This record gives sequence, structure tokens and C-alpha cells, in this order.
Amino acid sequence: MSDLDRAIAQLRACRPIPEAQVRELCHKARELLIEEGNVVTVKAPVTICGDIHGQFHDLMELFRVGGDVPDTNYLFMGDFVDRGFYSLESFLLLLCLKVRYPDRMTLIRGNHESRQITTVYGFYDECLRKYGSANVWRYCCEVFDYLALGAIVLGASTALEPRSAPYDRRRSTQELDDSEVEIEVVERDGSINNRYPRAKPGVVATPPQESPAKSSPTAKTGPPGSAASGWSRGTPTSTSGAVLCVHGGLSPLIDGIDKIRLLDRKQEVPHEGAMCDLLWSDPDEIDGWGLSPRGAGFLFGANIVKVFNHSNNLSMIARAHQLVMEGFKEMFENNIVTVWSAPNYCYRCGNVAAILELAEDGLGESAHPRTNGDINRSNGIVLREDKTLLAGPARRYRVFQAAPQDSRGMPAKKPMVEYFL
Amino acid sequence: MSAPQIPNLLLSPAGGRSRGGRGPGRGRGRGRISGRANAAAIQSKDLDIQSTDTDAAVSRLSAVSLGYLDDPFASLFVNGPSTRRQPIINRGTYARTTALDILINAFLSHEPLSTDDITPTRQIISLGAGTDTRYFRLRAKNMHHNLIYHEFDFPSVCATKRQITSGSRSLSMQDDSMELFAWQENKTTEEDQEPAWGFARREDSSDIRYCCHPLDLRSLPYTPPMSLLDYFTGVRSDIPTLIISECCLCYLEVENAQEVVEWFADRIESLGIILYEPIGVDDPFGQMMVSNLAARNITMPTVKVYKTLDDQKRRLSDLIIHTTDDGGAQEAETVGNIWEKWISPQEKERVDNLEGLDEVEEWQMLARHYAVVWGWRGKSGWENWEALKENQ
Repeated sequence: MSDLDRAIAQLRACRPIPEAQVRELCHKARELLIEEGNVVTVKAPVTICGDIHGQFHDLMELFRVGGDVPDTNYLFMGDFVDRGFYSLESFLLLLCLKVRYPDRMTLIRGNHESRQITTVYGFYDECLRKYGSANVWRYCCEVFDYLALGAIVLGASTALEPRSAPYDRRRSTQELDDSEVEIEVVERDGSINNRYPRAKPGVVATPPQESPAKSSPTAKTGPPGSAASGWSRGTPTSTSGAVLCVHGGLSPLIDGIDKIRLLDRKQEVPHEGAMCDLLWSDPDEIDGWGLSPRGAGFLFGANIVKVFNHSNNLSMIARAHQLVMEGFKEMFENNIVTVWSAPNYCYRCGNVAAILELAEDGLGESAHPRTNGDINRSNGIVLREDKTLLAGPARRYRVFQAAPQDSRGMPAKKPMVEYFL
Repeated sequence: MSAPQIPNLLLSPAGGRSRGGRGPGRGRGRGRISGRANAAAIQSKDLDIQSTDTDAAVSRLSAVSLGYLDDPFASLFVNGPSTRRQPIINRGTYARTTALDILINAFLSHEPLSTDDITPTRQIISLGAGTDTRYFRLRAKNMHHNLIYHEFDFPSVCATKRQITSGSRSLSMQDDSMELFAWQENKTTEEDQEPAWGFARREDSSDIRYCCHPLDLRSLPYTPPMSLLDYFTGVRSDIPTLIISECCLCYLEVENAQEVVEWFADRIESLGIILYEPIGVDDPFGQMMVSNLAARNITMPTVKVYKTLDDQKRRLSDLIIHTTDDGGAQEAETVGNIWEKWISPQEKERVDNLEGLDEVEEWQMLARHYAVVWGWRGKSGWENWEALKENQ
């Protein structure tokens, strides 16, 4: 067993590794990450995950639901640290897995992977508590500076990958051929919660009446203004494109993916500018751009996303950054999805989590190859008025809840979730 | 009562350390559970409820240390260094404190119509006040001259506050015209009881301006010697009176909480009330809140009954309004709406810049689950609240 495998085993048991080993790990990780571009290319199949926030036992639950590394190819969209009790173990485990299986694990930067934010939201304090000094925090922050800013997923199938046997136990009442299904929502026990057919051209798909979060009927509505309802419906076209993954969203300074590639990313997340926006912005039901209530990044509306996706040959943007009670939320006619992977966020919010599986194109129905900003990329496809053109890849959302209380192994004292008392 | 009868217990060293320590056993009313095991469980639960005051004091100091609030007294009531709370907790502490400041300032302020128009005296009764610093803050702003301020809390909490206050110059010597007093309210026993204490005017020590009453509030409606308002040092029935419960009544059984408010409502005519407590406990966030707090042995019976702003308004209407028909109303806002609507854009920007608040969705969810509810009856004394209502 190599040192690295031993470190992985130790971290899987939620035990921190010695400082010297962290230093070595971070050094190796930096060497690896420095070779990656600002936008990493990832081939489907891939499982896309949102915020983790130090909820280590829920990360283990995520691996149980999504499959273990390296069997499953993972893409984590940032915010590994802060808020939860085990930022250190969560981030170091992901980093170990990255170093051990570089092409099966993609990590991109979230707005919490920053010196300033981690001093406010817990990771700094946690390192200080667990090691008695800020060294480990410093090593980790140096790694943060090298994390990619985004990823492009290529070769995603427009048809769902057939489910493996255990997931076939309980068939949905909606009997559809797998090839007709665009979106499938799968519960923790493998039962299918909902399937949405790919809409045929010219046919307007009706939104499903049922929330995917069927198991918790009270969880149907999200926060006001977020319009979180968790439902999705099929995209009304048949051509597909690449998927851009980024932690926050778009920037008014970025009109093409190549502009992201030109950024100098190896620095602390700035307070403003393109790099900041990619990590901080949020989609919202507005026209154009708006000021963000977060004080960094921007709000961007449907049209911004549709134009960006069209001009960059994208079928979809996957992002994280915002809590959604149902674990995922598609917006703007499936042009963007928020994936949230921290169940019962902060041990307080009562939400479910989700991961997004994109299958490999095995049937020749390939997602459209990426040509990033190539003006003549449209291959004769006419842009329709509403600018929703490229079909999304088939998407399987696996929804899961917080790890059971007894397996969570909380710290000796009870978790002190803060309220107003 | 006349002044010479009030012994100054602060002058005797033994008195300064006396503790009530009788807890819920003082209750003589219905619904009391007997048996040692139960008594121990109840006592432990009481301590957990009392610990919520420490929690609130730490939250207040966190918000003060980071510049959200200005409160020079906050650090005096917290042991050890300031603990940094999450930004959403700091913002919530700020919004809730500011909301109460706005309502209380409106209640206390008076626009003189002529030069001989003197400011009328008002009374505030703060239930479960714990180590709240509001009186001292009002005093620092010179807003205490026409104010009589009462606090009710467990004897042990009152004792702690008395020790801290008498040991701090800024708390005890701030206003030369006042002096500390301590006085046994419970004359029915000879035992070493925690005294009521507070500040009276130096030149007329029967003129009580501030008083902490050591009392397990739950027993108030069931304790015959207390049936007269006079039992409690300096409490008046003839002036506009505002009752404040910041997360206090929510820890009482529903009926008990109702009876405590009714006890005051039966004895004071011109009455207003401000409640601050959680709502919306049926959704996933609310359910998680209930279960997380239950893990800390904290239960809030009333939140299961008053789940919405409308429930809370009806509650106030049932409690205080039905006894009079010459004016009054009930209002309620979530802390989220207070932040959005009551705080000026400049002030919001200032507060936003203190830490940066990344957790927007969580803030909205948290802030939607706490409500400030206020209601009043009568006209005189409540004109400013009426005006606030019309301005919204």
C-alpha cells in the first residue's frame, strides 16, 4: 500500500493526516493542477457534483450513491470547504483522490476556495483547531490558487445509460424507452422518482405536476426569489452540445469560453472582474445583468444564458453555488442547472442533495463536439428566435438525503447549529 | 412602598452572593409534576433554557465586535473573548435588535407640542430579559428619564446580572442621580432569597427607574401572593406599558404563556407587546430547527401553535385587544422583511460590507423563520405605533 493509499484510507475514516503529509500532498496536487488549463476538458461519462462544504459524512453518502472512485468519473464544482465540521478531511480526501486518479477526478474552484472567505466561514479555524497552526490552511490555500475555473464536458449522450440491475427493481409507472428519456430523477433506493421525455420538435412539453422531491412533500418550494421548484422538462430540439461547468455562473466580461482560458487564475479570488464573477454569479429571473445581493459577481437572466450557450455551442451550463431544496434546479428552458450536493446544508436547512450523471455517447448520438467560439460552428443549424437550440444531454439526477445521524459520528459535543435564542 | 423600608442588600457582602436557586419548584399551580427524577429532569431543562440567554449574549457580542451593532455593555455580560458567529447569525441579530430599537424608540419618543408639554412617563416590562443590555443602552442615550424599566427572569439569572452590574462602574455609576438598591420582594419566607434589585433616584429612593425581579415567570399566574401588581417593586398600572418577550414566552407551555400575558393585561390598561420568536416550523427548515434544538433539550411549545404571522397576530388580538375597543392593532413581520424594508439602503450597504454575506439563500430561509410581532390597545401612548403602521 502506497503512502497515498494509506492517506486515502485514513481520510475515508475521517481522520486527518499529519501536517508533513498534507504538505507533500498539496505540493503534488499543485504540480498536477498547474498543468491543467483554466477550463478542463472532461469526457463523459461523468458525474457532476455541487457544493460539499465540509459535510464529510454526506460526501461519503454521495460516493455510495454515485459510485466509488475510480469506478465513477467525478467532477466537483467547488465549495469543498467551510460551514461543515469536516472541511479539512473532505478537501484532503478529494485532493488525494485527484492525485491518485487524476483523470477520474476533476476539481474546479468555488468561491469558498479563497483565503478571505475561509477565514470567515470556518475552514481557517478548523485547521487551526486540528493542527494548532495555520500551516495546513496555507498549504490548502496555495492549492486553491491552482484549481481550474471551469470544465467542459464532451461526448455526453442524448440517451440515458441503462441503469444497472439494482436500479431496475421498481420501474416507474411512466414506461418510456430509455432513448426517449431526457431527464430521470432517481431516489437513494434506486427507485425512479420521475422521468421526463425529450420533447419532439414543435411540441411544447408540459411541466410535470409532481415535484421530484416526492419523498418529502413539504420540500416542494424553495426560497422566494429562487423560484426553486425542482422540475425540469425536455428540451424541444434534437441537436446536442457540450456542457460548461462552473461554480457560480457567467460574467459580463466573458462572452466566450476562450476568454476564460486567457485569465491568469493563479491567485487569490479577486473582489471583482471575470474570475470573481465566474465563481460568484447567480442566474435569476431578470433581463440582462443585475447586481448580486452577495456583494460579488452578478445576477444574469435567461437571455444572457441562451446567447452564451448558443455562441459557444453549449447545450447547457451546470453550476452549483446556490442552495436548492430539491438538490437540483433547471432554469431558462433547461439552459442552466444548479446542482447542490450538501444535504441538510449546515445541518440546518432540511434540503435534499443531488448529483448529475451524464452518460457516455455509446450509440453514435454524440453530443455536439465543442468548437468554443468558432463563428462558423453551427453546421447549418438555424438559430431559432428563442435561441434555445442545442438539446441537452440525457440527465440522470440522483437525489439523496443527509447521512443517517448514527453514522455521522459528530464531534464529541453535540453539533451546535446556531439559531436565534 | 416608602423608601426607608428598602434595605440596601448590596451593602452586605452576604446578600450580594445570595441565590434564589429554587427554580420551578416555586410553582404551586396546576400541571406540576412531582417526583425527584422528574424534578431533576425539569431542572436540567431549565438550565438548558437559561443557557439560551448565554447564547444570545454571545451572539450580541459577536455582532457588536464586528461592528453590526453599537453596544458598549455587551462585553460585560460575556465571559472570555468574543466568539465569532456566522455572518447570517450576525445579520439576524442586527435586524432583530434594530427592529426592536425602532419600535421601542417610537414608543418612548415624544414630540412636545409646546414648551410646557412635558414628556409623559412610559413603562417597559421585559420578560426573560436575561443579560439584555437594552436598559443600559437607553440610559447611555439619555432616553431613561421618563422611563420605568422592569425585567423578569429566573432568580439565578437576576443574581448574575446584579453581580455584574454592581461590579462595573459603567453599569452602576453611569447616572449620578441614580443609585442601586436591592430589596426582598418575597416577604412570605425567611429564607435567603434573591432580592429584586435595580436603580432608584438618589433624591427619592421610592422612585424606581429600573428593577430586575427574580421570578420563575411560569409561576406568576398561580401564586396568590403575587396577585397584586404592587407585589412587584415599582411596577405601575397607570401608564402606557410595553411588554417585551424576545424568545422568552416561546419556551413556556402554550397555556402558561397565555396566562402570563393575561396576568399583565388584566392589571394594566394601556398595554402594548412585542414578541420575537420562530415561526414556520412545519417546513423542512423548521422541522430541522425543532429537532436540532430538541437535541439541546430546548423545546418551544408555542411555535407549534403559532406558525404564521397571521397566527401570531390573532394570538395578540386574543390576548390583549378583546378587553377594549378604543383603538389598537396587531402587526407582524418576518426578520427577512424587516431587513428588506426597515433598514435604509445606506445602512444595508454598511452592514453588508462588514463581512460580506455569501449565504444569501440560507439567510432568506433563516430570516423567514423568525418574526417580530407587536400589538397594542388604547390610543394615548401608542400614537407613534399608529403612525408607523400608516407609514408602511
